[in-house]
Amino acid sequence: MNTPTNPPNPQPAASPENPQPPAAPALAQNARLGTILDALLKRPVVLIHSLCEAKPSRHWLLLALFAVPAFALYGLLMGSFSGGAQFLAASAKVSGGTLLSALICLPSLYIFACLTGADVSLRGLAGVLFAALALTGLLLLGFAPVAWVFSQSTDSIAFIGTLHLLFWTIAVWFGLRLFSHMANAMRVPERTHLHVWMAIFVLVCLQMTTALRPILGTSEHWLPKEKKFFLAHWMENLSGAAATNIER
Amino acid sequence: MKPLRRLVTLCRGDTDRIAPWLDEHEPRWLLTCILTIIVGSALYGGVVGLWRAPLQAVYTAIKMPLLIFLTCGFNALLNGLLAQVLGSGLSFRQTSLAILMSFTIVSLMLAALSPVALFISLNTPGPTSAARDAGHSITLLCTVLFIAYAGVVANLRLLRLMERRCETRSAARRVFWSWLAGNLFLGAQLSMVLRPFFGMPDMAVHFLSDDPLRGNFYEAVFKAIRRLLH
Repeated sequence: MNTPTNPPNPQPAASPENPQPPAAPALAQNARLGTILDALLKRPVVLIHSLCEAKPSRHWLLLALFAVPAFALYGLLMGSFSGGAQFLAASAKVSGGTLLSALICLPSLYIFACLTGADVSLRGLAGVLFAALALTGLLLLGFAPVAWVFSQSTDSIAFIGTLHLLFWTIAVWFGLRLFSHMANAMRVPERTHLHVWMAIFVLVCLQMTTALRPILGTSEHWLPKEKKFFLAHWMENLSGAAATNIER
Repeated sequence: MKPLRRLVTLCRGDTDRIAPWLDEHEPRWLLTCILTIIVGSALYGGVVGLWRAPLQAVYTAIKMPLLIFLTCGFNALLNGLLAQVLGSGLSFRQTSLAILMSFTIVSLMLAALSPVALFISLNTPGPTSAARDAGHSITLLCTVLFIAYAGVVANLRLLRLMERRCETRSAARRVFWSWLAGNLFLGAQLSMVLRPFFGMPDMAVHFLSDDPLRGNFYEAVFKAIRRLLH
């Protein structure tokens, strides 16, 4: 199924949704990580073009190698709320959980992208997914100093949890916007399926935070013994019923 | 075109390429559709049944493709007749293939959503836990949402294919709605006959209920409405 496909047009017509300058140069095959991240922030369509083109590039690998440590670093910061073993536990859970969520949703991304009529390979889509994760991780690193200040100045798990959720929501929104850029570049008219997939991805990520709890709090166990839906878990924490519960 | 490439084209809904496949007499594409339905729906069925028990997963993996093939099989003659009476110009074989192609899309979508369904199944309270009712509701809701979404998408694809093949748009719509009504009418009853799919928390695991042919879907709905009104 991973057959070469027609590359998307790297220079689509200008539109309010597409901030790409029309004459942006293509990314070199051997571009360094800095150049790729620069393109990710400023010229996403050029990066998407290089990820989706028939000739394989190592850009997706560099993006993945950036995304995983970026999430691990942000997880380290989340672990600083409780300290101790949670530094490593939260770091591993945030990076591993994000990667696992992406892998769980990759098959549906491919089929849903096909349903939109987009002519893109599985490899190309995996590359765009890693680019979205890299952008999310990069933005989370940008939020990290602010999050650290608040995590050191409060004992309220509800407050710090909400703050991390807010930062994650903003970062993911920008990350997933790459798929809209991809749809623009490929001139995909029907995007409903991509939006549905994005909703599924967000739900899987949110459930992953509950499946891998505790991330902010502490527990005797590495993973929870009880299965819970993420909304139920949040409500418990927010209502204060779990004030004495160490598994947060 | 290779079978996998054809499946991708089918998902993309490129009706200009798909429409001529209905005229092929080689069984290769038909077999590809059948195999895809078996694998895709069995995979999803297995994941859904896993919430209750591993044995239920095996049963549901068998019953999901069975439900599709029984619906297609029992309605094949009627759908073929309706297609001709309503002016589609499609033969019985072409009618069956078009409907199988729409179920192929459903199966592909469900197979692609299987990792998500598995993740949900592994993270909802199980049938032996105190919160089993919540677990049952989440599993039921996700299954209904996923199947409904896949069904809507596949039927819209089928409608586009019919519009491409039929001489007039109105004929295509008439045929499409008549197929949809027939398949929904029979499919709902067959799903009742083949229940349980993921079972109730307090019920033992069964391949079929004790008396599967007793009662029907529409009677059950009618009785439920009457209970509500009284």
